[in-house]
Amino acid sequence: MDTVVQLTGVSRSYRTGGRETVALDDVSLDVAAGEFVAVMGVTGSGKSTLLHCAAGLERPSAGTVRLVGRDLGRLGEAARTRLRRDSVGVVFQSYNLLSELTVAQNVLLPQRLGGPRARPLAEVLASVGLAGTEQRPVGELSGGQRQRVAVARALAADPAVVFADEPTGALDPTTGAQVVGLLRTAVDTRAVAVVLVTHDPRVAAASDRLVLLHAGALVSDGPTPDVAAIAEQLAAVSGAPQAASR
Amino acid sequence: MRSGITRQALRRHRWTLVGPACTQLLGAAVIAVMLMTAASLSAPGLSAADRRSVRAGGMTDTTAVFLGDSIYLSVLVVAVTMNLAVSRQLRDIALLRSVGATPGQLRWSVLLQAVAVSLPASLLGIALAVPLGSGWVALLRAHDALPDGVRFTPGLVVLPIVVGIQLGTSVVGAAVAGRRTIRSAPAIALSETSGDRRHIGPARTALGLLLVGGGIAGSAVVSALAADQADDAALFVLLAECIGIGLLGPVVLRAAAAVLRPLLPGGLPRLALDEVAALSRPLAGTLVPLVLAMAFAGIKVAARTTSAAVTGSPGPPAEVWTDWSGTAVFCAFAGVAALNALVTVLVSRDRDLAVLQLAGGTRRRLLLVVSSEAALVATTAVLLAGLAAGATLLPMLHTSLGTWLPRVPAPALAAGLTLAFGVVAAGTVLPVAVLTRRPALHRSGGAG
Ligand SMILES: Nc1ncnc2c1ncn2[C@@H]1O[C@H](COP(=O)(O)OP(=O)(O)OP(=O)(O)O)[C@@H](O)[C@H]1O
Ligand SMILES: [Mg+2]
Repeated sequence: MDTVVQLTGVSRSYRTGGRETVALDDVSLDVAAGEFVAVMGVTGSGKSTLLHCAAGLERPSAGTVRLVGRDLGRLGEAARTRLRRDSVGVVFQSYNLLSELTVAQNVLLPQRLGGPRARPLAEVLASVGLAGTEQRPVGELSGGQRQRVAVARALAADPAVVFADEPTGALDPTTGAQVVGLLRTAVDTRAVAVVLVTHDPRVAAASDRLVLLHAGALVSDGPTPDVAAIAEQLAAVSGAPQAASR
Repeated sequence: MRSGITRQALRRHRWTLVGPACTQLLGAAVIAVMLMTAASLSAPGLSAADRRSVRAGGMTDTTAVFLGDSIYLSVLVVAVTMNLAVSRQLRDIALLRSVGATPGQLRWSVLLQAVAVSLPASLLGIALAVPLGSGWVALLRAHDALPDGVRFTPGLVVLPIVVGIQLGTSVVGAAVAGRRTIRSAPAIALSETSGDRRHIGPARTALGLLLVGGGIAGSAVVSALAADQADDAALFVLLAECIGIGLLGPVVLRAAAAVLRPLLPGGLPRLALDEVAALSRPLAGTLVPLVLAMAFAGIKVAARTTSAAVTGSPGPPAEVWTDWSGTAVFCAFAGVAALNALVTVLVSRDRDLAVLQLAGGTRRRLLLVVSSEAALVATTAVLLAGLAAGATLLPMLHTSLGTWLPRVPAPALAAGLTLAFGVVAAGTVLPVAVLTRRPALHRSGGAG
């Protein structure tokens, strides 16, 4: 199968006030088309940093990131942005929508910015359960509805990969499950790859593969077990000393 | 707690408050210069001959008109910029309401902010007025508009007048902007401020139509007055029209976007139209100083050039010089206000720009979107200014010169348009170029 995301020896450190924080420590990870990967770890373990580096939103301090076959390190800012627009969808906990625009206008943003043609709007909105809301200003929607708009925008143009950082963090369990279900459907029906960061084992259970981070290092990578086992694994790596290995 | 909220707001919104601070400084300086100039013209030390010559030269009247102009202009742009600045923090106000701040506390906070911006700006403006005013009087002497005996005499009497005007306007502008959000129930306030797509009340539209209609009717009346009275009264008419245009601004911008929508292809232009329609309220605030400056300058210039063309004489040189330089000063003032208003709007869109970048917009494309928005706003402003100036000017021309046709030399017209578009471009494209340099991830408000 096609590898759509390929991280090789990726590290990222931040220097703040003379102190160096290693947010990501020599992480290697391949994600194939049609694969649903959940990333977990305690707060500060580097999940968001991993996602940002993989999506080309941030440059790693070391290592290479290939996205749909392109080496991000060789691309300038504009080229990386275009690559993201054309092949990547991003969903964040804080929605990242333009609240004064309508649902339709938000979903079509990447296309308006010169990106690939989206699938028919009515179909896209129906697939996320928002049929008929085209003309509603996003500012009027509930949190769950907004997150569906964000998912609709991420999926509208059939991207190769969707990166989602705690997309259910602000939602109730039922709504959260629905949003993750939308991603699951995209993986199953259109071979989209999904990389999803979450703290919730029930959300992670929707994935095919579970990656655990601790102190910036990738400490576990394997098929996703059931909910109880996920929670156990998570507790084990988080509590255990950092020396754990794959 | 009160001053705590205020201090926080001042710190958090320091960039949006720079706008009103600048306009108030300039407004205070111009008003103070004109007040002090007026005082200099009747200073006790002036000889009887100089006194007569001042009166004969018409400078007392001219200064009074300039003083009136500067006060009205300042009141308008200060109110607009302060209103805009407070409008930009309505979301914070709504959030504070929801965590337990009382309306009274927030009213105080907004009031204190207005004072904290207004007071130092006015005082600094008055201080600046001393060298500026002495330069202005020296220039008037050099151009024979004033006899050599006139000396610039700064006085502290201007202090309460200028501070009073600025403080009053600033407080009213801020209070009007915050009123609704502060009064509403927290949940309503929050949902209303989460987007700029707020309802445009029928009262606003009605008042706007009334002011514009009244202005047009007024200019017909004014044109029947004696020439020098008509000149003074015309400014009132123009101001009424400009306030009306400010009130109608959101409707006009949405209408402009709706008219253009079917004509433009999808993609970037469409996005620009959507944004203009969605942000029509704050953008309308930027229309007021733009339209005012262009209409004011247009009237002054066209009245002079048409009179010169019809009568074959450019008029007394001292008078012409005074008129031109006065117009230039007011245009610069209004131009700075427009620039401020635009930058205020743009800076508060930083998060939106970041969202566009995250959605795959390159800096170049964002600049294109924003330039298209700017072009639409500038074109609307030019058209509105043309209407306002025409409605005021044409009846005047007809009465005094017997012509309906203003004669403006093409270079003057081109220069005016270039300036207007330049100000709008500088106020929109530059901030975007600067803002988008920082990574989108850190500006989008908690991406992680
Ligand atoms: N811009 C930054 N500047 C400095 N340090 C940073 C920056 N971004 C992240 N870090 C640090 O890097 C480490 C990893 O952060 P990251 O945001 O990736 O954690 P996370 O696993 O996503 O945590 P959470 O579950 O709380 O979202 C943390 O110690 C954090 O403080
Ligand atoms: Mg995170």
